[in-house]
Amino acid sequence: MTTTTVNGRVESLPDDPDALLIDIVRDQLKLTGTKLVCGAGVCGACTVLVDGAPVASCLMPAQAAAGKAVTTVEGIGAARLHPVQKAFMAHDALQCGFCTPGFIVEATAFCDQWRATRGTAVPSREEIGAALSGHLCRCGAYDGIFRAVADACAGRFDGDHVAAPRIEARDKVTGAAKYTVDINHDGQLEGLILRSREAHARITALDLAPARALAGVAAVSLLGDDRIVRFVGEPIAAVAASDRKSALAALAAIKLAYEKLPAVVGLDAGRKDGAPVVFDKASRKRAGNVSEAAGGPAPWKQNIRGPTAVFSTRAKKARSWVDEARQANNKLLVEATFRTATQQHACLEPHAAVARFDGDRLTLHASTQQVFHLKEQIAKRYKLDHDKVRVIADHVGGGFGSKASLGTETIAAIELAREAKAPVRVAYDRQEELSVAGYRPAAELKVALLPSEQGALKALSVTAHADTGAATNSTIAGLARLIYPAEAKDLSDFDVISNLPPGAAFRGPGGPPMAFAVEQSIDEAALRLKVDPIALRKRWDPDPNRQRLYDWASGLDIWRNRKPQQTGRYRRGIGVATGYWLYLWQPNVKVEVAVKGGRIVASTATQDIGTGTRSVLADTIAREFDLEPSDIDVRIGDSSLPEGPGSGGSRVTASVMPPTLQAVRKLKAQILEQATRKPAPGSNAPWRELIARSPDIAVVETRGEDGKNTAPGIRSPLREVGLMGMVFGWMMRRFSNIAVGAGVPSSVQVIEVEVDTWLGHVRVLNVHTGIAVGKIASPALAHSQACGAVIQGLGYALYEARELDPKTGDVLTAGMEDYRIPGIADTPEIDVHFDEAGFDHVLGNSVGIGEASTVPTSAAVANAIHDAIGVRLTEIPIRPDRIVAALKGRDAA
Amino acid sequence: MSAATAMAMSGPEFRAAGTDLSERRRSGLSCGEVIDLTASPDMIGIAWGTDGAARIGALTAIAAIASDARLAQAYPGITAAAQGLATPQIRHMATLGGNLAQRSRCWYFRNPQIACLKKGGSDCPARTGNHLYHVAFDLGPCVAPHPSTMAMTLLAYDAKVTTDRRSGLSITDLLGDGSNGAADNLLAPGERIERIELPAPLAGERALYKRAISRSYAEWPLVEICVRAVISGGVFQQVHITAGGIAPVPLRLVASEAALQGKPADAATIAQAAALTTAGAKPLPMTGYKLELLTGLVRDVVERIAV
Repeated sequence: MTTTTVNGRVESLPDDPDALLIDIVRDQLKLTGTKLVCGAGVCGACTVLVDGAPVASCLMPAQAAAGKAVTTVEGIGAARLHPVQKAFMAHDALQCGFCTPGFIVEATAFCDQWRATRGTAVPSREEIGAALSGHLCRCGAYDGIFRAVADACAGRFDGDHVAAPRIEARDKVTGAAKYTVDINHDGQLEGLILRSREAHARITALDLAPARALAGVAAVSLLGDDRIVRFVGEPIAAVAASDRKSALAALAAIKLAYEKLPAVVGLDAGRKDGAPVVFDKASRKRAGNVSEAAGGPAPWKQNIRGPTAVFSTRAKKARSWVDEARQANNKLLVEATFRTATQQHACLEPHAAVARFDGDRLTLHASTQQVFHLKEQIAKRYKLDHDKVRVIADHVGGGFGSKASLGTETIAAIELAREAKAPVRVAYDRQEELSVAGYRPAAELKVALLPSEQGALKALSVTAHADTGAATNSTIAGLARLIYPAEAKDLSDFDVISNLPPGAAFRGPGGPPMAFAVEQSIDEAALRLKVDPIALRKRWDPDPNRQRLYDWASGLDIWRNRKPQQTGRYRRGIGVATGYWLYLWQPNVKVEVAVKGGRIVASTATQDIGTGTRSVLADTIAREFDLEPSDIDVRIGDSSLPEGPGSGGSRVTASVMPPTLQAVRKLKAQILEQATRKPAPGSNAPWRELIARSPDIAVVETRGEDGKNTAPGIRSPLREVGLMGMVFGWMMRRFSNIAVGAGVPSSVQVIEVEVDTWLGHVRVLNVHTGIAVGKIASPALAHSQACGAVIQGLGYALYEARELDPKTGDVLTAGMEDYRIPGIADTPEIDVHFDEAGFDHVLGNSVGIGEASTVPTSAAVANAIHDAIGVRLTEIPIRPDRIVAALKGRDAA
Repeated sequence: MSAATAMAMSGPEFRAAGTDLSERRRSGLSCGEVIDLTASPDMIGIAWGTDGAARIGALTAIAAIASDARLAQAYPGITAAAQGLATPQIRHMATLGGNLAQRSRCWYFRNPQIACLKKGGSDCPARTGNHLYHVAFDLGPCVAPHPSTMAMTLLAYDAKVTTDRRSGLSITDLLGDGSNGAADNLLAPGERIERIELPAPLAGERALYKRAISRSYAEWPLVEICVRAVISGGVFQQVHITAGGIAPVPLRLVASEAALQGKPADAATIAQAAALTTAGAKPLPMTGYKLELLTGLVRDVVERIAV
């Protein structure tokens, strides 16, 4: 028997040649700080030190560690936090935290080596970027990581003082934070899903008996009652066994027969006359949903659902004006067709669920954006009492919209656990995560934008076809109604359904593609009108929040000192773009604020997917009581707590902050009422003393309606658009439990790029992001969100695309090598500007930041590229192949 | 997982560090016997002959090659290529022999559910399907580019490969001419690479390596090149230009080499040579852009060599 040393302890190694070091660390030793993400050595989440060198434990054979010393993240902070860990905490160099252990291990090795040879010199961004180039963070925490590594190397975190704006940061930098994939009950089985190999087929026979005949195997069918599969990867059945290997054998034992049906793949083929129909009338309810709310009725013929055109106004007029302008060869008429790519959420923690029955009680750990609502969905689906279902999500490794429904991983885990009478974990592998776990649909957008001769915006026409796969309800064009008022707007949305996995909501659904097309068209109009692009936006977009952001943007040195178009190999350019999202909040949200055992405890059944919800609650309450955030215990991630909001639609802050403040107000009164002793005169911490001596008191408050608006121009954007908008708002509230508030969360970004015209490479040099989402509840965390939103937007603009086999729809980019998200070295300097006005009518004055902050990025990049090279790139991602194609035949550098 | 029979490869495979094989084992692509390579001392490390020529053991880690100061002095193209591939964590583990013998990175090949020429299938699904990252020099039935950056740079150095059975193999002897779509190399079953032998460096030779990618790091090259030359009296001599990412095997760009050989090291010569990089190219419908990148890369790197 061979051995290795892990964190100083001698451990035995199995003889199995396929055992990998990560299996020993996570499964045998239960050191779950080390994460399995890509399984291919790309993302670095599994990084451990072997004899001091960082390696990918997901690829290293366990036997290769024989006789060596392995250090995991748990071994790094064990005795005393490493300066790198303290620096990550202080600089908020993390969000969801799933990638953090890998970054910590690598950065620690880099820092120790740097200090040994370079003392306290400060490494450059380039040096840090190269050293950490084997790590990926989907939240985009790179800005903080740069600062943390530089400061740790410089010796600024050698002392014992530890401060962290994110209250769970310590658990995340030490690997102690437990995610769903880390849950390991006694006797827990591993579940796997049998998926369709066919793009479209009828399952004529499914026999689970041979799988069930294997020792210790449970199997369940996941087939719908029509027994039709509509995309490669559609779930057919699930099995559970003692380990993955046995579960794979059980999957292979299942007997299956298909009758192939004609299939159609993608946006162009799906629109053709006579294309095979994916959903017949009877099966349309099976289609998924790509938006944050339920959809309204729409025409649906063959594979085309639409037009949805409720946000049009005087559409016929818009069309006739555009036609006339085209015939008159009006040079001001901007017409273009834009294409955006399918963007995968690529959460580093995969979709995962662990189900466990204790009698008739179900405990479900789930990687979810909605612990409370998921509990209700499960209770309804399985006819269980609501108080017998508990959904827990202590930490969630990213969501971005993809974990906001009752998914196959949860259904399979519950049904397998029930059949096996044992706890079952189902965790998607990376191939599943990057193919069937949802995506932002690709789209084709045809835009016609007509300025009047006086320089006003006369007509805007946007027709969007979205590549939604086995799903519907895309709204892209419609979003162009709530910005840039015009005399007439013709806005039509179509879903193009085909035999591809269903799309899902993704951070500002419809927003980034709308902005990519409309903001480039606005830019083009500015060029033709010979008006400064920010000045034109200021003229055409009266929203008061954005008016202030335009003033900020036009005052930036980088904007004022723009240069004329360049020549030569490397060309720089500057672009601007605007984005917005609706201010959404969730009615009926309840927050309990209590004194328990002399401490303040805040509880609500929401969850933190990396957005910082725990800290928003702790910071808000601490401010009110003049305490430190660490004095507040925040309990979330558990459906048994008072009803909390889902983490979607940027709604959490605006949903929890008002009831929290109301509860604090009442709690203060009750504490004072019951106080037997007043605080010492002149005490500088009266509340601390009062709380410490207070009996246990609990106050639960419910999110109420916002106050009447006082500021001019602040109205519900839906009210502005008239009756259809009000109907839309009523439907959102009635069917999706989402209220649309007054005022528009907004973002304006100014971005500088450098284009290498020889190699087609775009380098983003710096980004200025101005954000108006009201008062900032937790500044360091909001800064992290703002930077992460930009970084994800840069991925959308420059790198990310799902690639398919055109015939079968097989997702070819189902690994992190081929699905390319931004790395740390791709991160520009990011300047964040918060404009904190505009939401005085909301108790606490704060609304969410997540979505508005990512909407304009791709458009600003494209406008900057146009400024640099004089060519408008109408298709994203703007990869080297597209840059060289756009420049081909033009002036040689 | 799927219902179809996985296109697994069930023959025995050698394992050095496992950075390629472990991924294929996890996906189910490789399911035969694993034979761990045990290192004899001459299979690890860099040895130097009295003539200044280096010999690199096949199990030498890429990171060791990337950080070797003497190697960087004598063969800068090799250390630069080693620094540019994969990620730091992979470079610490992966070996030179493993880099040469790794399997294709084609997204059809890597999907265990899809048949292809390298998995006993009868045709190449990438050719008629999505080949965005595939070859622009269509030299054989399989259109996947060869993944080995080290092979590309060793080709520029006229390196010779020694296996447990044969010696003096050129990179072309090892990898073939691209006409065999069924394999990534021409090693016989059970044959393993033991070491690489490099000719002594030429007096005054320079070399540079560069890859064109969309992000900054950690991406398989769209196109990569190594340029090696002696510039004597302002004239190009002994020019070697090799390219990867564009063909089923690393290529020598002989037309560009010839256009530089014996010519003055000036912008006009370089532009002319760059224009010739695409001689013999046969791009696929989606890979024409690689020729633009190849031209740009050659111009870029040769200009910097000539400075």
